[in-house]
Amino acid sequence: MTVTFRLNGEDYRFRDDPMTPLVDILRQEHFLTGTKAVCREGFCGACTVHVDGEAVPSCLKPVGLLHGCEVTTIEGLSSGQEALHPLQAAFEAADAVQCGMCFPGMVMSLSAFMRDNPGACRAEIKSAMVGNICRCTGYERIVDTVVDCLDTHRQTTETAGSMNV
Amino acid sequence: MSELSATVMNLPRRDAQDKLRGRTKYTIDRVRPDMLHAVLLRSTVPAGRIRRLDVSAAHDCPGVRAVATGADAPGLYGIGIADHPLLAIDTIRYHGEPIAVVAAETEAQARAALAAIVLEIEPLAPVFTMAEALQPSARLVHEDWRNYEIITEGGARAGNIAWEAKSSRGDVDAAFARPDVRIVESSFTVGRQSHVPFEPRVAIGSWEDGRAHIQTSTQVPWTVRNVTGRVMQLPPGRVRVTVPPVGGGFGLKFDASIEPITALLARMTGRTVILENSRQEEMATCLCRENAEIRIRSAVTAEGEIVGREAVVLMDCGAYGGEQVFLTTMTAHTLGGNYRVGAMRLVSRAIYTNTPPNGAFRACNGVYNTFALERHTDEICEALGFDTIAYRKKNVLRNGDLGATGQVFEADVLGPMLDRMETLRANTGTSEAKADGRLYGTATTVGTWFVFVGPSAATVNLNADGSATLVTSGVEIGSGTMMQSLPQIVAGQLGLAPDQVIVREADTDAAGLDVGVGGGRTTVSIGAASVAACTEVKEKLLRTAGEMLQTRPEDLLLQGGRVEISGRPGSGATIPAVVAHAQATTGPISGSGAFTAKNTPAMSGCAMGHFIDALDIPVFVVHEAEVAVDPDTGHVEVLAYRVVQDVGRALNPRAIMGQIQGGVVQGLGYALHEEVTITTDGRIAQDNFETYRLPLAPDVIPVTADLYEGAPSMGPLGTKGAGEVPILAVGAAIGCAVARAIGKPVRQLPLTPPRVLRLLHERETQPEFPHIAPGWAANTLG
Repeated sequence: MTVTFRLNGEDYRFRDDPMTPLVDILRQEHFLTGTKAVCREGFCGACTVHVDGEAVPSCLKPVGLLHGCEVTTIEGLSSGQEALHPLQAAFEAADAVQCGMCFPGMVMSLSAFMRDNPGACRAEIKSAMVGNICRCTGYERIVDTVVDCLDTHRQTTETAGSMNV
Repeated sequence: MSELSATVMNLPRRDAQDKLRGRTKYTIDRVRPDMLHAVLLRSTVPAGRIRRLDVSAAHDCPGVRAVATGADAPGLYGIGIADHPLLAIDTIRYHGEPIAVVAAETEAQARAALAAIVLEIEPLAPVFTMAEALQPSARLVHEDWRNYEIITEGGARAGNIAWEAKSSRGDVDAAFARPDVRIVESSFTVGRQSHVPFEPRVAIGSWEDGRAHIQTSTQVPWTVRNVTGRVMQLPPGRVRVTVPPVGGGFGLKFDASIEPITALLARMTGRTVILENSRQEEMATCLCRENAEIRIRSAVTAEGEIVGREAVVLMDCGAYGGEQVFLTTMTAHTLGGNYRVGAMRLVSRAIYTNTPPNGAFRACNGVYNTFALERHTDEICEALGFDTIAYRKKNVLRNGDLGATGQVFEADVLGPMLDRMETLRANTGTSEAKADGRLYGTATTVGTWFVFVGPSAATVNLNADGSATLVTSGVEIGSGTMMQSLPQIVAGQLGLAPDQVIVREADTDAAGLDVGVGGGRTTVSIGAASVAACTEVKEKLLRTAGEMLQTRPEDLLLQGGRVEISGRPGSGATIPAVVAHAQATTGPISGSGAFTAKNTPAMSGCAMGHFIDALDIPVFVVHEAEVAVDPDTGHVEVLAYRVVQDVGRALNPRAIMGQIQGGVVQGLGYALHEEVTITTDGRIAQDNFETYRLPLAPDVIPVTADLYEGAPSMGPLGTKGAGEVPILAVGAAIGCAVARAIGKPVRQLPLTPPRVLRLLHERETQPEFPHIAPGWAANTLG
């Protein structure tokens, strides 16, 4: 079976078992190893990518379901020398990262969440993070950073009237 | 002190941006299309004898390039005792034990070939629990235990007792016989804890110029080098280990495990071979924090003086001795810590069972011994009517008090830290109102741990662009020491900015011996070796500058990237100019430095079978928890958590706060819901993320912490390790707080809702240990 979809802005044609999990194609065919295969069961969130803008665990996404979709990985979020996504920049500035294995997935999940929930409170942010496990940090600094990012965004949009995060 | 002000800062991590962009290549991300994939044949029985192992058909399977068995790597390894084969030889000792390995062009081909291996095992009756293992008639997990090579002398051993460490100080019998004492006895049991690093154990082996090269996700490159040499019967110098960024360790990667297999297969095939544990394998064979059983008795006067204490600690090492052999040592310093005690005797035994081997986990046996000691202390307070905080203030270790092995503790640390906790609580207020009708409890607990010092080496090369390259065997496991404290220390010594200090990844061919990253030791030991290397660099630099500037070296100082004449800011020459001059005249400027333990003495005759008789650098914590228990569901909510931590000197306070938050949350998992159980066929039941309940974001709260500086330390600038101890007293604080909330004794962790409900309704079976004899001496090998 042939499946055609866009991967980080480029056309990609896949000809093999349509049940192949997306994460395996990303890591093994494209060497896009920023997407981490940690539990491979949808619990940890480290393999989260955007499919048509929605955050999904790529371990649970058979490639056969991606026909015509737009897939963005962590590498596609801010590629080359491009500026970091504001959330990535905020995590860096806050010294939030430790071993770092969960962060690509954390960034992909939370960037979509922030775009869709710009008014989210702390408890809502924490609820949104149940699908992204971190074994190092104890979460709170990650949550603080998202809260600060949303506050900054609200202040900016009040001034500029834009809705983009 | 300018050196200090140039070192202490909230330096952000240099590896954060690549990690956030997904660019960092951990070992597991380094698979290349030309690599062979190795897959292990693991035992599906917990105990047995290999009657037939025929791998010839597997050799003929498509894509297979090599098949190896125990016969290909006959050397045994271990800590203290060499009892562990790389691949099972003749005997199976745990469910999941590797028996053979196939390397093939693809993982699927390797897996398919496993089915062609002919394996016949004669099952043996497994020994699953320490109670079974200690029966006089118990089958021996290691029939040949007497013939193993002893790597470290001194431990008593017998049959299923892999190692016994004992400490004894003063006349304990006389203390317990005093007419003016109450005797309080408590028994505790705790389960295992699984580390769950996001990067599993994984290694890539190649064979280059007649030597093995292993790239691996480890905390201990030198141990991997030495163990690979042992099992392959090669001089260890024929093994090179390099370590890419490590995706979490927490102690799991403080021992060698699967890494040498890749070197073996690389030698057989001449190809590069990757072996990675699947998540199921990783969790089913996790070298967990061990399950343990603890009995403590204390003789206490009406005034609260602890005149006598004795304890027996049984630690399940699983099928092989591993870290537990070493960790028996720590009972003397954890159960024997915290309090001033008149006479004391403690025995700690590592017991073989037919279960997956255990290992090291952040603050190791300190976590459960502190739980046991603090709950026991609360039971003393309850029996004698003392206020728990006042009692601790009165009895914690003070300057000049003796530890279990007769070590003399220096300075008052825990007492002032308890005072600081009162100030912290006054500042934050308490959270009792949030209990909202549920059962409320709070507890303040103390803990004693240490910095595992030991040997480290460092080389510093000063470059002509003014940068310095630091070469050590340190590994970045996520704690940030290689990214923050070490470049801060070197920069502070040489008058550079931290971003001018290049930090080399661990490579056993490039840097000298190091015991590894763990035990809170990196900042202290590699830091001290780095300071020593910088001293040599500075001496050469100032000598050269002195020649250039016609000034005595003692009148020169290093700051802001320049060698300046003292008292004349802006004078002198830039470091690049001095380095260029040196390169042209005397040669490049480099320095090397070394560090090791000072081996603080114990009192003569007090410590038997110990790897460390006394602590060179003790570390103390005070932890306070407030909890609410739902009496209908048994659910425990942590309302507030406060920490006062002895850090010696905080080089990067913000990074330490990050370690405290992360360590406390791992401790909350251990205290409340991370549960490992052994099935009736000897497997770890929780081998995936569905069954092992890790802390999630909504479970946690922000930890409030106060860093206590100024306690004595031999670490550079007075620092102590800060990443390991945040987990130390969490089980203790939560256990004590829940006990108070529900008004029932808590003697077991984790406090899952079903267990809390059983405790509330007095249906929980409290630990009783028929295999621990009533008389202390009967629990020792004499």
